[in-house]
Amino acid sequence: MDEDTDDILNNIIDDDDDANIQMTPAELIQKMEEIWINEKFAPELLPHEQEIVDLVLSQISAMEDNVETLPSADFKKGFYQLEIDRIRFVVTSYLRQRLEKIETYVLHVLKEDEEREEAYLSEAEQQFALKYKEALEEHFDNATMFYPGLPFEDWKSNFVRPNMNSFVFLKAKSNVEGVVVDRGQGDDNEIVDIKAGSQMLISYKGVSDLIKKGDLRLI
Amino acid sequence: MDPEEVEFLGEKHLVSIVPSFTSESVHLIQGDYGPFRAGLPIRVPLWVAVNLKQQKRCRIQPPEWMDVDTLELIKTDEKLSRVFTKMPSEFYMVEVKQLLGCASDDIPRADEIRTIVKDIWDIRMSKLRSSIDLLVKNHEMYAAVDNLTMMEINSMRPLLPHALDHIYRMKTFQPNVGSQSQTMSFSTHSRVSTSFQS
Repeated sequence: MDEDTDDILNNIIDDDDDANIQMTPAELIQKMEEIWINEKFAPELLPHEQEIVDLVLSQISAMEDNVETLPSADFKKGFYQLEIDRIRFVVTSYLRQRLEKIETYVLHVLKEDEEREEAYLSEAEQQFALKYKEALEEHFDNATMFYPGLPFEDWKSNFVRPNMNSFVFLKAKSNVEGVVVDRGQGDDNEIVDIKAGSQMLISYKGVSDLIKKGDLRLI
Repeated sequence: MDPEEVEFLGEKHLVSIVPSFTSESVHLIQGDYGPFRAGLPIRVPLWVAVNLKQQKRCRIQPPEWMDVDTLELIKTDEKLSRVFTKMPSEFYMVEVKQLLGCASDDIPRADEIRTIVKDIWDIRMSKLRSSIDLLVKNHEMYAAVDNLTMMEINSMRPLLPHALDHIYRMKTFQPNVGSQSQTMSFSTHSRVSTSFQS
């Protein structure tokens, strides 16, 4: 049954011209956990990882099909089921995390995505964000119409943004040199090098690109 | 992050078990384990071990460091050292909790181990508190947190980064820009909590 799942995964990966080629299922799950944790601790919405999520979901459903064929007396069935549940938890937690950020920062997220070449929202997330924005606007318009004279257009231009200066814990996957730390007193910046494997507490702003590139991961 | 989620991550670590059954390999998505031969030790992820133990299908071999003498040494080192020493396992708290929780009959002197590990945790926590105090007083804007395990990092998660956030905001605050910026900074203030819900 393992060969079956491997075959399925290989086929999927072969079809996919993306950068993430040649991953074993174990590496795939590892990657899924990493993007889950990154999304959890990053203040802003990170670029979507739809390919990874799709691959993981297809692994889960292949496994589920296999589990169905096992006799229910087999005690190993419990492990397969348990593993499926564990992985499913990671995926749902990741997607929920993203939805929560989209809801909180909906106007900001949509605007950023328009201005950026690479979309951070997946297609489904974009649809959700647009609908959510529509509903929000309608609701606010209805609510503010009762009180004439309110500056009710303000919320549209002055919208909720993630706090990019918030502090995060991270671990370096490779050596990183020249991270700029803004000390918040004018030009008084500091340059920090981070060695592979070391852990830091630092402001998110200086490292956001390195996290998206994958040199650092949040913990 | 909930402590349960840290446990979840720690449960991937491998531990040794001695199965009491014979079976062919289990092909999980994350790798193959087995074949299982009754009486032959084998390494499996912690969550598999706990599950097997609960079904009374195996005996757990505690990790090498989970031993009173080794832990006493670690405790002395931790006490004498000014910095944080490296723990034998990135998830020592999780492993101790899970293994002692389900398999205290397989681990010699389980109660003593529990006490020593709690002592080590307490020493490290008090070190952590004084380091944080120093960090904030010196107005540092970054800190190396090597050798801290995830559970320890998690224990200061909501408070410390949030505090540094506020310090940063106070440093960058410009009072003379006018009332506009005041209302803005007030609204950023109320927002910050959203980034720390996790």
